[in-house]
Amino acid sequence: MQILRKASAGTMQSSDLMVVVEPSDTLQVDIESTVKKQYEHLIRARIASTLEELEISAGHIQVSDRGALDYAIAARIETAVRRASGE
Amino acid sequence: MGPILFDQPALNEARRLIESHGLRFEPEFDDLVGLFDDGQLVACGARAGYVLKMLVIEASHQGTDALGELVTRLILSAMSAGYDTVFIFTMPQNVASFEALNFRMLVTHGQTALLEHGPGLEAYLALHASQISPGNNGAVVINGNPFTLGHLHLVEFAARRVDRLYLFVVREDQSVFPFAVRFRLAQAATAHLPNVTVLDTSRYAVSAGTFPAYFLKQLDEVAAAQMQIDLLLFAERIAPCFHVACRFVGQEPLCETTAAYNKMMAEVLEAHLIRCVELPRLVANDLPISATRVRDAFAANDFDTLRELVPSATLAFLQSPSARPIAERLRSKMEKA
Repeated sequence: MQILRKASAGTMQSSDLMVVVEPSDTLQVDIESTVKKQYEHLIRARIASTLEELEISAGHIQVSDRGALDYAIAARIETAVRRASGE
Repeated sequence: MGPILFDQPALNEARRLIESHGLRFEPEFDDLVGLFDDGQLVACGARAGYVLKMLVIEASHQGTDALGELVTRLILSAMSAGYDTVFIFTMPQNVASFEALNFRMLVTHGQTALLEHGPGLEAYLALHASQISPGNNGAVVINGNPFTLGHLHLVEFAARRVDRLYLFVVREDQSVFPFAVRFRLAQAATAHLPNVTVLDTSRYAVSAGTFPAYFLKQLDEVAAAQMQIDLLLFAERIAPCFHVACRFVGQEPLCETTAAYNKMMAEVLEAHLIRCVELPRLVANDLPISATRVRDAFAANDFDTLRELVPSATLAFLQSPSARPIAERLRSKMEKA
């Protein structure tokens, strides 16, 4: 799948996250999180594996997380990417 | 409980809610969102450009996630309007609530705090990282509406006294000359100075986000607080990154807002060990050169006067066909005034 346009998914409510994806030549993942100190590596790993499953190798992914669980992270990423790919 | 769009009765209700929380209702906004519970408005917030404002939550609904819901809506609306980063001015006691929404503190002073959400300042600094050189650097911040011989005089004076001079052009498009033109003219007029780098301020100096009153040209307590925020942002976040040890500014004999700003600048910057050098205005025909004078002469089609006020790059632009709509806008503004 390819990120063809800017799209978002999710909310900024507690235990959720907001994801914004847009086209880019390289893959860049920026994470803001209220639990960044403790969990950034896990959030990053989950985003990476989700992007891999979706076969995304380029794009600018911005995440604003408020302590979402990992399946919520995967779901929001997938939704944003599908919207950005025109599905 | 869910957000809906506002009609006139709901707008009146929002006004009451905002005013009952001690905030001023400002009718200038691009978007207003509210949360209703059982038909009652319990929370609302607005967005003007990239600035969120008038966020209010009834006491009965604090502790719910009303803030998260409002901010989600406002950020989505900002994004569809093309703003990835949003600002919020709030009181120090509310900072934690916004930090829990991943807002980052930019600067705080007295009863005001300025926070942002999005790529923001970090991305701005990363973008300009390659233009940053160490040394004893200086800064000049101008609107340049348009670039005059007075600006050039200030820049040349400053450039002789520092290793590198950063000439920041205010990004905010609230002036007759659009940012792209102001920026290009500043670059062209200073191209002969090898140690001058022209940069865009993004929103981090004299913008509607940091300093709306500059554009409104009125002076009151709110304006003074916002000037403080603007100057602290420069002193604490911008100057250290660009190794700025000295800021140069032209004396202001005419405009009250700018004169007050310059006075405060000296105080704030010097408290942060940044020198502040005020240079007397360059004079042409016994009058200080100012962009206001240039605009007046341009509106009057008085190119003899313009030749004495602006460098060749600005003059060439003013004589070009693409400047004609600007002259017309200036004339219609004057007729109105």
